[in-house]
Amino acid sequence: MLKMTNLYDVSKCTACRGCQVACKDWNQLPAVIEPFTGNYQTHETTNGDTYTIVKFIEQIDDVKGIQWNFLKFQCMHCFDPECMKVCPTDCIKQTEWGAVIKDYDKCIGCHYCTYACPFEIPQYRKRQDITTKCTLCYERVEEGLTPACARTCPTGALQFGEREELLIQARERVKFLKANGFPNATIYGEKELGGLNKLYVLTDTPDKFDLPVDPKVSGNIGFWQNWVQPYFGWLIPVTLGASALSFVTSRLLANKAPAHTEGGHE
Amino acid sequence: MGSNAAENHPISFKWLTEARDKRGAKIISVDPRFTRTSARADIYAPLRSGTDIAFMGGMFKYILDNKLYHEEYVKWYTNATFIVKDSFDFDDGLFSGYDPQKRAYDQSKWAYETNEDGSYKKDMTMEDPRCVLQLLKKHYERYDIDTVCKITGTPKNKYLEVVKAYAATGAPDKVGTIMYAMGTTQHTVGTENVRAFAMLQLLLGNIGRAGGGVNALRGESNVQGSTDWALLYHILPGYLETPEAKKHSNYQAYVDALTPKTGYWQNKPKFLSSLLKAYWMADDPVKSYDYLPKRIDGKHYEHIALFEAMYNKEIEGLIIWGSNPIVGGPDANKEQAALYNLKWMVAIDLWQTETSEFWTYKAVDRPTDKDVYGIKKPEEIDTEVFFLPACNSYEKAGSVSNSGRWMQYRWQACDPVGESRADLQIVNDLMLRIKKLYEGSSKPQDEPITKLTWDYGHGDHPDLNIIAREINGFEVVDGKPGKLVANFTKLKDDGTTASGNWIYSGCYPEDNGKDEDYLARRRDNKDAAYPGTKPIGSYLNWSWCWPVNRRIIYNRCSATPEGQPWVPDLTSIFWNGEKWVGNDVPDFGGTKDPNGPGGRDAFIMRPEEVGCIFSKRNEGPFPEHYEPWESPVKNLLNSQELNPAVVIWEPDKKADPEEYPIIGTTYRVSEHWQSGVMTRMQPWLAELVPNVFVEMSEELAREKDIKNGNDVIISTTRGDIKAIACVTKRFKPFNINGKSYHEIGVLWHFGFNGFANGDPANRLTPHIGDANTMIPEYKAWLCDIRRA
Amino acid sequence: MKVTRRQFLKVTGATVASFAVVELGFDMTATASGLKGVRTQGVKPVPTICPYCGAGCGLVVYAKEGAPADGPQLLSVQGDPDNPINRGGACSKGSAMMNLREIYNPETGEQEINPERIWKPRYRAPGSDKWVEKDWDWMLDRIAERFKETRDKYFEHKDENGIIVNRCEALASMGGAALDNEELHLIAKMNRALGMTFVENQARI
Repeated sequence: MLKMTNLYDVSKCTACRGCQVACKDWNQLPAVIEPFTGNYQTHETTNGDTYTIVKFIEQIDDVKGIQWNFLKFQCMHCFDPECMKVCPTDCIKQTEWGAVIKDYDKCIGCHYCTYACPFEIPQYRKRQDITTKCTLCYERVEEGLTPACARTCPTGALQFGEREELLIQARERVKFLKANGFPNATIYGEKELGGLNKLYVLTDTPDKFDLPVDPKVSGNIGFWQNWVQPYFGWLIPVTLGASALSFVTSRLLANKAPAHTEGGHE
Repeated sequence: MGSNAAENHPISFKWLTEARDKRGAKIISVDPRFTRTSARADIYAPLRSGTDIAFMGGMFKYILDNKLYHEEYVKWYTNATFIVKDSFDFDDGLFSGYDPQKRAYDQSKWAYETNEDGSYKKDMTMEDPRCVLQLLKKHYERYDIDTVCKITGTPKNKYLEVVKAYAATGAPDKVGTIMYAMGTTQHTVGTENVRAFAMLQLLLGNIGRAGGGVNALRGESNVQGSTDWALLYHILPGYLETPEAKKHSNYQAYVDALTPKTGYWQNKPKFLSSLLKAYWMADDPVKSYDYLPKRIDGKHYEHIALFEAMYNKEIEGLIIWGSNPIVGGPDANKEQAALYNLKWMVAIDLWQTETSEFWTYKAVDRPTDKDVYGIKKPEEIDTEVFFLPACNSYEKAGSVSNSGRWMQYRWQACDPVGESRADLQIVNDLMLRIKKLYEGSSKPQDEPITKLTWDYGHGDHPDLNIIAREINGFEVVDGKPGKLVANFTKLKDDGTTASGNWIYSGCYPEDNGKDEDYLARRRDNKDAAYPGTKPIGSYLNWSWCWPVNRRIIYNRCSATPEGQPWVPDLTSIFWNGEKWVGNDVPDFGGTKDPNGPGGRDAFIMRPEEVGCIFSKRNEGPFPEHYEPWESPVKNLLNSQELNPAVVIWEPDKKADPEEYPIIGTTYRVSEHWQSGVMTRMQPWLAELVPNVFVEMSEELAREKDIKNGNDVIISTTRGDIKAIACVTKRFKPFNINGKSYHEIGVLWHFGFNGFANGDPANRLTPHIGDANTMIPEYKAWLCDIRRA
Repeated sequence: MKVTRRQFLKVTGATVASFAVVELGFDMTATASGLKGVRTQGVKPVPTICPYCGAGCGLVVYAKEGAPADGPQLLSVQGDPDNPINRGGACSKGSAMMNLREIYNPETGEQEINPERIWKPRYRAPGSDKWVEKDWDWMLDRIAERFKETRDKYFEHKDENGIIVNRCEALASMGGAALDNEELHLIAKMNRALGMTFVENQARI
């Protein structure tokens, strides 16, 4: 089965954030209103009711002067999803065409997936005691529609289609950008972590967009897989029985649990 | 320039991106700060707020000095060839005919020379020193690049980059477009800013052509329609002037004074007569003209004047249809205080706007003790307030007109919330009740109401099709609606036709009992091309466009003087030897030979029938740079500091630059809209921009010891507000004539209600406006800033 | 109204394949993973135009058929792929149009009417610090009377020169830039019939 994915071309994105809202519209997500802290960016990272955000990063380029980089940020739908491997309840699945999706009925909000994710994407939704993330709008796609974010993108920065075809497009675009004032233009997602089912065309190196240059699976994963996961069958009834414990386990297991509400961005 | 299209008209970037990708277009962003538009532009140049004319003047000089203008176009389609009388002159910031007492010009000093038969005297070589092109050259002689950059603060290399890139569109096979919005208009020289754009586009041959134009990016979904419908003091529907008592005391006086002898406005009496018949169908237009209100000659009624009158207790009752002046009006503290003087107010909106709650405790809160206009508590306010809940745009049906004048229909999708109602139902019900109160009156002063034709069906809700047909117009037979007219060319001045708005005549040309009789409802989105040409995006069968479905006005200019396309790939209309054909409705007699008499008179709505590089405005026929009312610097180009023709309402509120040294400006963001009630009440949008913030440079922040995210107080002579600091590399101090000046920018949209709230930026802005329109100066004023 | 199949979220049976071809360019029906949603059944697409800026983008309101009149009725609002202005695109404001009527509660996640919407007419008496709900007839009758009182008190039939001026300068009308053309026609007509000279909208601010 061919992989289906989004291609996001930052050189066409105006950061209107139609995608962030369209995602909420389709996925029936409430607003998460956090105070303005000095950057246009709404949240440090995704949260339980916000599957996609747009990052705003100011850069001074020696040649071009001020640059304002925008980056749509969400689940990368890795080819080899670490979250799926660590999930104790087996609630994470991968569709044939590459969407990594969760069955929320089975999720127990343990944060394993968050901790395992190289981008720390899955985030906790308290009212249901689950962790959530972008679904690549799999139910839309399987009904023959494009994901909500790609459907709404006014400028065509976001496209949806077959990954191989989009890659050809992306290579062309990078070539064009390199020849037109962006010598560091690059593709992101083609090879990272063995391939992501989200493709980016960047006008500069990934670090200028707050993306890990060479993303890696967390070193602590070994600890999880060797020590915690084997006992998880035993832990499940406990966490289900006491939500307080779920908090404890999540703290125990995920020392980087969502703490996205405080602090400035710059 | 003057717009931040990526943020405030995001869809425009769909087409700019496409133009760049497919046709190699360049995008230029000129803005005081680096915006999301600048981030996607090929060239970014900063300019200090309020210096657009200096910026443009330098472009004129560069284009004229280097002869980069589109010569054929300029020669045939503009008044560059016209000879101006010797009485026109310019000296040190003043044109001839100025009266300092009245702060006004005698514009007859700026007339054209005419031949004995009354026609305009021209020099087709454009070398006569009194011809418009030469006068233009002389006027902008002073606008050399060094002087311009000393005024605007634009780095010289960036300025030149912009000028060269844009001047290149003067080549006959190139087209450039200017997208502007409130950054251009909301100044004491707002009209002249737009004029400068029009002049530039005429010089470069960019008007009337596909891909060209001076594009006003309209800020509201139907601000085009509400202007066409003249919810404004100075016009009647279809851009007919409102009558003034002395000058237009009766029908004939109006027609005599306001009907030009040349150009399409010769037909004005037909449009006036038909409008009067649509209002008072049983009366002869000569009689019903008397029913129209006549304003006091020369009196100001603009938004600012309205609130000055209210502040002075001259207005007793106010009805507000979805507007929020104590957030969106200039000098919002004063506008709030003015509302205390109303005896009653009716507000119609989806939400509780700040204006509808001006009498609450919430409206009293201020971040400091400063209280210039006397803010009152509920118990001190005697206004009776009526709030009527309106339903939203998809809970009702009707049409709206966009920036491109497309009249598009919106179908009703669901039920209104609660008891909320469509504004259409509200106005219909209200007028019927008022008419009832006057029923039986025989007083002549009540005739405008007792004789008013008001019959829109008998259900709870008025019949939309009846209204649409009244707008389109029909023949009047025995005082009743007869056959529909095809379009405005069928309207008459003898009282036998009616049309509620002549420019919309043609939107409902036939009644076949079908939905699509109302052409606004058409949904055929094929962009068909005339045989042998490429499509240009006209979409002639999608909705309907005024006038007569013409998508690009003045499209005669899209062809050479001989009638052939300037560029074959961009064919709007052309002469096929017998008639005008192509991808648009010709804005021109359909069979007028381009080589025959009048065959090159491309601007049919002008009495001159050409585009006007030289044109009478209240402050002169050529835009001249003046500093904003509040400015920290002296005018480098002339000794007039302020536009000599503006009205100064509050001389005592002018800031001293010593006390208020920082330039302030206001603007919108993508995620909010206007005074914010339609976005602060939406949780998803409140999430995106939850608080009012003020953008400033890192340099200013250091000077004032402000950190990113700090609460700060911004002060002007009008009031103080609190906002959150957004310290950014995207705003830089301006180097003005060798000295550094700071500018800050405050978000416009905030008030005390909603999911996102904060202080209105307009508590800072002054009550001063443009010399022609009195649009307020929201964009350049003086302030100070400190940590809260 | 002409609505193309592209605006339908859900089409059943044999039409699915061709529908998919239109939006995605190829057929996805073979991939069904058994996780298909049922949210899109019984939903009707209604085209509208965005109420925000003046660009005039088309949007489609997806309304649930048969939903109770006093509760949530919408599934989603998305860009109209048929409208040549935006071709299905919508910025953050356009994409948030559902919030003009309905929101998702942040505590419960439930869909509900936007709590900021006003359900009934409200009246504030002079000197009062609160609203009182009233019915429409009471309000409109009283407003009509206020118009008549003010008009009759300040109306000038002739000015000091004997010219018929038929004006009332103590009445003012503001706004209208977000209304429909048909509404504007009636408001313009009403305002002039009442003799108003202070008529202003957002075009000047």
